[in-house]
Amino acid sequence: MRYIFVIFSLVLLTFSAGLAQVDTLGVDSILLNIAPPSPISNLTVYDKANDHGHALILEWTPSPDDGAGMNTVMLYEIFRSESPDSPFVNVGSVPLGNSRYDNIGILEKESRDYIPDNTDLYYRVDAVTINPEVRASSEVFGPVRSYSNWFHRGRVPVLLAVLIFGGLMMYFVTVARKGAELYVRPLAGISAVDDAIGRATEMGRPILYIFGLGTADMISTIASFTILSRVAKQVAEYQTQLIVPCYDPIVMTVAQEVVKSSYLDAGHPDAYNDDMVFYITTNQFAYVAAVNGIMLRELPATNIYMGKFYAESLILAETGAVAGSIQIAGTDEVGQLPFFIIACDYTLIGEELYAASAYLGREPIMLGSLKAQDYAKAAVIILSILGIIAANFGLTAFTNIFKVLD
Amino acid sequence: MKRQIPVFLVFIFGVFMVFQYFSPHEASEWVYKFLMDWIYIIGIFAMALGIWSLIHVSYDKIKHKRHDWGYSVVTLAALFIMTFFGITGFNENGDWGFYFMTQEGLTNPMFLNFFNYILVPIETTMFSLLAFFIASAAYRAFRARNVLASMLLVSALIVMLRFNPYFGDAFAFYMNKTAAWLLNVPNMAAKRAILIGIGLGMVGTALKVVLGIERGYMGKG
Amino acid sequence: MKRSTLILMGLVVIVFALSWIFKAISFHGVEEHYVLQGFLVTLAAFLTLSIMSFLYRDNPFYKFAEHLFVGISAAFWMSMGFWSTIVGNLIPRLSEGLSNFFKVHYIPGDYNIFFYIPVILGILLLMRLSRNYGWISRWSLAFIVGTTAGLNFIRYLRSDFINQVSATYVPLLVDWQGIGHFFSNLSLSASGQFIMMLANWVIFLGVMCGIIYFFFSKEHTGMFGRASRVGIWILMITFGASFGYTVMGRISLLVGRITFLFRDWMGLNI
Repeated sequence: MRYIFVIFSLVLLTFSAGLAQVDTLGVDSILLNIAPPSPISNLTVYDKANDHGHALILEWTPSPDDGAGMNTVMLYEIFRSESPDSPFVNVGSVPLGNSRYDNIGILEKESRDYIPDNTDLYYRVDAVTINPEVRASSEVFGPVRSYSNWFHRGRVPVLLAVLIFGGLMMYFVTVARKGAELYVRPLAGISAVDDAIGRATEMGRPILYIFGLGTADMISTIASFTILSRVAKQVAEYQTQLIVPCYDPIVMTVAQEVVKSSYLDAGHPDAYNDDMVFYITTNQFAYVAAVNGIMLRELPATNIYMGKFYAESLILAETGAVAGSIQIAGTDEVGQLPFFIIACDYTLIGEELYAASAYLGREPIMLGSLKAQDYAKAAVIILSILGIIAANFGLTAFTNIFKVLD
Repeated sequence: MKRQIPVFLVFIFGVFMVFQYFSPHEASEWVYKFLMDWIYIIGIFAMALGIWSLIHVSYDKIKHKRHDWGYSVVTLAALFIMTFFGITGFNENGDWGFYFMTQEGLTNPMFLNFFNYILVPIETTMFSLLAFFIASAAYRAFRARNVLASMLLVSALIVMLRFNPYFGDAFAFYMNKTAAWLLNVPNMAAKRAILIGIGLGMVGTALKVVLGIERGYMGKG
Repeated sequence: MKRSTLILMGLVVIVFALSWIFKAISFHGVEEHYVLQGFLVTLAAFLTLSIMSFLYRDNPFYKFAEHLFVGISAAFWMSMGFWSTIVGNLIPRLSEGLSNFFKVHYIPGDYNIFFYIPVILGILLLMRLSRNYGWISRWSLAFIVGTTAGLNFIRYLRSDFINQVSATYVPLLVDWQGIGHFFSNLSLSASGQFIMMLANWVIFLGVMCGIIYFFFSKEHTGMFGRASRVGIWILMITFGASFGYTVMGRISLLVGRITFLFRDWMGLNI
């Protein structure tokens, strides 16, 4: 019995090995019998435009055996070298059907993926089959160099806008400097600032000025500094108390400078105290909690909110309303405008915040800049009408002017 | 000199940043990255000024025993204790020193506890107060004083009542459709108009700052 | 201090102590530091209720929570800023000795010397504290303001001006096939040509009238004034819709906080 079992096992093993041999022979024969495909053609390599260099683009006509002919091409492998005679290094691959590869290098010089600028490079593209050994190489293309571009041509629309807007600004500022009378329509929120400061003086209560959560790099905060300088000057003249709690330490630093200068301008430098403008914390709701406390304890007659506000806008405005303060708000944060409009007595909507400094100072130069902004708005209306006509009649040449390429 | 040099510096750096946008060159990007890093670093020095202001105001209150001076003690105590927990901790070997984070996480468990059980609860509670404040703001808005306030009120009501099941399916259907239209059509128009205006205002102010026309942030003297 | 206030504070202390004890007992066997955990959860609940008491009126509990919050948050940001920027970004580029002290990886490089410039600008900023030399801090501020003004000038010109203008190019005559076809296919369904055209016309006119409203240097009279009026109506409708949309979101925040009080603190499974 034992011998029969051994003989049977040996026969079984031999048979299995034979089958495996047949299988391997079958697959191997398929792989060995693949004919090399046709190579790609018309390989071109050129520098990627509008970038900081270290990038080249390859384009080619796919192999005739890619999706057609023998239909054996599986992918294309890209090789690069610094000379046509030195070894080529594989830098990437794309699947079949593709005819373009962006060779974007990284900036670390030690890395294999680094592409040196201003250096002759040579490229080759291999059409590869399911058997990596069976492939067809293209002609070597080169020398080609990557460059860092000094000017981004895709951003010309922005440059035009800069030049037009800058030109308008300079023109109207010059006109204003020459003494031209410039009309501006009344803004209720701005007119109310004077009355609000007067009210605070009569009641003997302070004025609370809040920048919101803006940092000194935000344009709305910079606009708010200018408004604060005007408000502080009036406050100094009336000798009313001013409280300016700050969220950002740089804003606090600038605001101290602004208020101090305004007091000096008003002829009351001794009335200024650094503690008028103070830092609380750079945490949204800790700042709000502290300002709420100030509102309920100091009971300011007027609250002025000018700058960048987020979710805390409603808490501040409602607490101010409970404290019985007159509230004037101005923000460019569109999401918070509804809350200020509902809770505050006067609200400056969006662009009106930026116009406020011109309104308060009434300096000709500032009013001139408002005129420039209005002309830019007129240009927007005209361009919009032209653009809509172009869009409706399929005139893409006009609409493409405004496409900024990255 | 006290004002001319800062105005000149504003002009130089402002103009560079404008030109940098149009120049993708490696050198330009390198300088841009440096400048952005510098702003963060200077911001930390400014933080020292801010903390100094906070300590000074609190200390002044305590020293002159002004109204509610006791709470300023709480502020200063919390500030110093949290700072101590924030700059010291235990490393992987259990040694105490100037550590903040290891691969296992924060080195000082009390810093994390203060964050999780004091900072986060208060912050989320303050945020949740918005629900009460929005109710009181809605009450204020419902007193329609003029045509504009009435328009605001009506559109708010339409959007608020769109998911209300109590007025019947037909009412809910039309309310939902109207609210969706309000949120997609006039909402988009108004936001676009506001954004264009804000964009022009920002661009105008930024240009005035760079060219030195707007100097209110610099102060005088 | 009034007697009623003292009694109230005493009651709060007793409730706090009892809550601490009960929470510590509930955490016993589950948490390693159950006494500390019990205290912390009770403290979180106490602070939550203190902040909520603000809705009634300003009171000593709210003042305590507010001042505690200010101190801790200021220290939190200072610590994060110190470790992430000074120790994480600056020290590794400036000093090998300090890098070793703070156990961070020193980054040698030819351009590290440029990182002394922000340090100098930072020190100039600190001169703000000097009575005589405070003006020199304006140089640092000028750097920050100038850099960010230039950056924002371009950024907003592109995003809030050029992109917004090009986005207004909507087709006003959607699938236009003539007047006859239009009137014979009037439909109020959402996918109907009529609705799409109506929407695009409203958007176009709304944007134009909204922009007209923001004209400052022209009097809003006549046709111009009427267009400006339409503009402010569109703005008010938008603000009302945004307000209504936000209400539900804010209510859900409150629900989250109430859930914490009932579930985590009181242990009620609601």
